[in-house]
Amino acid sequence: MLFYARRYPLGIAGALILILFVVTALLAGVVAPFDPLTTAPKSALAPPGGRFLLGTDMMGRDVLSRLIHGARISLAVALGAACIGSGLGCLLGLASGYLGGWFDLIVQRLAEMMQALPLLVMALVITASLGPSLVNTIIAIAIPLVPNVARIVRANVLALRELPYVEAAKAIGLGRMKIAVFHILPNTLAPLIVLATAQLGSTILTEASLSFLGLGVPEPYPSWGRMLSESAAEYIRVAPWLVIFPGLAISLVVFGANLFGDALRDLLDPRQAH
Amino acid sequence: MTFSRLGLAVILLLATLGSATAQKQGGTLRVTHRDNPPSASPMEESTISTIMPFSAIFNNLVVFDPASPQNRYDKVVPDLAKSWTFAPDGKTITFTLQQGVKWHDGKPFTSADVVCTFDLLTGKTNGHLRKNPHKTWWFNLADVTANGDYEVVFHLKAPQPSIMAMLAGGFTPIYPCHIQASEQRTHPIGTGPFKFVEFKQNEGMKLVRNPDYWKPGKPYLDAIEFSIIPNRATMLLAMQAGKFDLTFTSDLPPEVMKDLQSQVPQLQCELQLTNTQGNLLVNRERAPFDNADIRRAMGLAIDRKAFSDILGHGTFAIGGANLALPDGLWGWSEAYMETVPGYSANVEKSREEGRKIMQALGYGPDKMLPLKVTTRNIPDYRDAAVILIDHLKSVYIQGELEPIDTPVWYARLARKDFSVAMNVQGTGVDDPDVQYFENFLCGSERNYTSYCNADLEKLFHQQSEMTDFQARRQLVWDIDKKLQEDGARPVIFHARAGTCWWPRVHGLQIARNTIYNHWRFEDVWLDQ
Amino acid sequence: MIDYLLRRLGLMVLTLFGVSVAIFLLLRIVPGDIADIIFESAGMVDPAEKQQIIHDLGLDQSLVMQYLHWIGGLLHGDLGYSYVSEKPVLQEIAPRIPITARLAALALAFAVATGVPIGVITAVRQNSGLDYLLRVFSLLALSMPAFWLGLLVLMGFVNWFGLLPIYDKAPGTLGAWVLMMVVPAATVGLRSSALIMRLTRSSMLEVLRNDYIRTARSKGMPERTVTYTHALRNALLPVITTIGIETAFLFGGLVVTETVFNIPGIARFLVEAIRWRDYPMVQNLVMFIAVIVVTVNLLVDMAYMIVDPRIRLRG
Repeated sequence: MLFYARRYPLGIAGALILILFVVTALLAGVVAPFDPLTTAPKSALAPPGGRFLLGTDMMGRDVLSRLIHGARISLAVALGAACIGSGLGCLLGLASGYLGGWFDLIVQRLAEMMQALPLLVMALVITASLGPSLVNTIIAIAIPLVPNVARIVRANVLALRELPYVEAAKAIGLGRMKIAVFHILPNTLAPLIVLATAQLGSTILTEASLSFLGLGVPEPYPSWGRMLSESAAEYIRVAPWLVIFPGLAISLVVFGANLFGDALRDLLDPRQAH
Repeated sequence: MTFSRLGLAVILLLATLGSATAQKQGGTLRVTHRDNPPSASPMEESTISTIMPFSAIFNNLVVFDPASPQNRYDKVVPDLAKSWTFAPDGKTITFTLQQGVKWHDGKPFTSADVVCTFDLLTGKTNGHLRKNPHKTWWFNLADVTANGDYEVVFHLKAPQPSIMAMLAGGFTPIYPCHIQASEQRTHPIGTGPFKFVEFKQNEGMKLVRNPDYWKPGKPYLDAIEFSIIPNRATMLLAMQAGKFDLTFTSDLPPEVMKDLQSQVPQLQCELQLTNTQGNLLVNRERAPFDNADIRRAMGLAIDRKAFSDILGHGTFAIGGANLALPDGLWGWSEAYMETVPGYSANVEKSREEGRKIMQALGYGPDKMLPLKVTTRNIPDYRDAAVILIDHLKSVYIQGELEPIDTPVWYARLARKDFSVAMNVQGTGVDDPDVQYFENFLCGSERNYTSYCNADLEKLFHQQSEMTDFQARRQLVWDIDKKLQEDGARPVIFHARAGTCWWPRVHGLQIARNTIYNHWRFEDVWLDQ
Repeated sequence: MIDYLLRRLGLMVLTLFGVSVAIFLLLRIVPGDIADIIFESAGMVDPAEKQQIIHDLGLDQSLVMQYLHWIGGLLHGDLGYSYVSEKPVLQEIAPRIPITARLAALALAFAVATGVPIGVITAVRQNSGLDYLLRVFSLLALSMPAFWLGLLVLMGFVNWFGLLPIYDKAPGTLGAWVLMMVVPAATVGLRSSALIMRLTRSSMLEVLRNDYIRTARSKGMPERTVTYTHALRNALLPVITTIGIETAFLFGGLVVTETVFNIPGIARFLVEAIRWRDYPMVQNLVMFIAVIVVTVNLLVDMAYMIVDPRIRLRG
């Protein structure tokens, strides 16, 4: 461990930040001083300090508690979307690269099409069509991730396909499926993990943008992104803490994810090492 | 000779003294705007987004008396109608119209235009209106006929004192016969103090002074510019920096207004009842609210004061269907309100009663009744719904928010696809005729809860015909009480919001009981 | 070269066709159409009136008919009429595109002007304190939500400088325009700047290690020349690629920045059009964006080929 700490101090720092947030999210019920959903008109818009460490919002809800529970939501959405997006993309990339033929052609064209549209626009249309809900937000953010992942996995598969030990496996008579799963997949994992961690940061930011625009995760889930949305921004003069803290939380988590992702890439993919 | 010259001198002296703060000509008023209006035609819309920028293009037959900050049906003054007389049976009103009035394209205004306008509104002619949301206002209008070029006669089915209020409201401008409705949506033509210049979607609108306005000397402003700034924070900062003279009407929640004023003490601000009420739409045809007991329990769970405290910083008014006193004209007195169930000040006691009802039905802290609370997916609605869900917990109802995207909201309501919906609705005019006939008439389009009570409808008509204000109001109180007892559409709050402007803006008129009816801008002037 | 181009163009057309079908269908899966929205603002739904609107706008025709109608018009340069403003789509889009385009251009210029030099510095002074500091900063810049940054910047400007850098009126001169746009452009461009910096850095590092650089050094060329002429030229390749990729990602930042700084550009307009279910507007705008993205990708690939002779051979 110390070996890694010396070589990748920033990466360890990033990992620690991520672990901190994940643990907070998991223990939200225990750690949070107040219930994030209870409205308390008498304590509305209280500044940070005293009972409410980070102040309260316009409904009297404790900002710190909402941030802690919000970690759960934001991380769940990001992880969920990253997993689903990467998983689907991986499957598509594997199949596309290994099977080739017209399946590959169609998937490639579809991927190109999806990449011709800006991420936010696609997410917007998807949430608008499916309606604002937790699950739909995850789907809306996951779908645009698929083409990127598929493309990279496919490239890796194409490179690996020609390698001697794969030829050997085919010669022995191993089924295509088995070859794909047991031989090719493990070797694509490294760049995949790197990609997934890199995506983590941007999925959190996308969720925040969606919530800011009024789509994304609805009430009463305390999403960081929505804490920054229009109705909160209205109080920017009266209660700047409503704007500062959720933004800080988002920035910190994404920062940690980026630090960790960078170090991971250095570790796993020496070709791109600095 | 000397005497009259002296008299003239005295008059002139008095006039000069009187106009010590004389209105100054010129200047462009810069106003912030909140969101993109769906069209520029006040007749076809119900939203303040259209009314505030585009009312200045038109005139009505009559308007509410600017000297009275409370819009009243019995305090209207002439606009395009110079004078009017009621027939003794109250069923006919004869209006004498102004002469020499011209439309913005130069054509003359005559009685035919009034007839055209009301034929459009009542649906007699198909003017290809996209929608006609105020059609129900004219339930009592049998016909409008012209008597020569400068006289119109309104034929009513029954006497209706409130018709004057409807004529004075911002949604009843007079339209020209010779312009298509579709034109009015994009390039409106009126007789008003300002002419339409442009309307850039999502950006803003511009109006320019009408030099041929038929009221001499007015308007004072050269032009009015609206800029659409949807981001609230940006709008506040811009106001603070002096980039705009006036905020959009009732755009500021009370504490935001207070804060703005404390940051910029020179700003003038005013809080007014917006005639927007938060109410609950309860679907009686669907479980669980087909059960009257559960309806009652829900009514007892609501802490109306909390809504006011949270959403309105304590400034909201509490009342029934009609706007609360003293700013509203028809609301209950405090004494009367005590007698209405659900409006008791002792919330804990009401909730205890509600819990007993629910326990009798088998619910408890371990067995809560699951319920979807539907609402529109915009902050005003959502915030109210969140508070409601919190309150419902106190009577063992586990609410879950179901935010509906704006485009589908009314379609869902029309389909009655909801159990309870948190609704925030505005009413154009503070008048029981509008309130009852829009929302509670059997089969009315806005009657989302299918509330149908034939006896009460008789009372609607009865109060509409009464000319004695006190007696009429007493009947309105009784009707409102019955509506609340029936759980027809429990009213939670009457909203208040603020408007701010820099002191260089003069002549603004903010009413106490509506936001829709005084945006002609003809008396506004800038002190630069 | 020519047949490469032709092949790419063919693929482009195919992609764009796919995009058109996709956006057309996606929009119509979305519940609620313009007729619903129109009545939303009226506060009620009159079924007869609603049917009339649906018929007037051609929404009761079959999907295929509607699609063909749109595409047919598009190929003739007729983009149809906005459902909301009832004005021609082209008239609505045309004045807004240059605003966003200029904002994007300024943002990219800012990003390149700051990202490349800082990337070079951190590469040349690898693992120094300055390197770490700048890398951490750049990572921070990548971590902040664009609208949060925008709001803070706005607040900061008002409270500290008494200025409000939001879009006021159409500025007259180029100088006035740059002045008005520089703060929002920097806000949007910060993210791209960080990305470009990181890419330049890693690219430079890789190149600096290369044999032929060592050769140049051993030949006795001054260090400066080595760095700036050989290394930089080769290091710029991935930067060019990023500019291509960034074009799509920039859009998200543009949407929120235009909202916060009140800029009447096409990004904000698109979001509003989606909210209003203004099909003609959204469809055409999305196609326009797709065309831009696809074209930029093509140009980037071609530039790549020109700059790096090794790729040309593979073609």
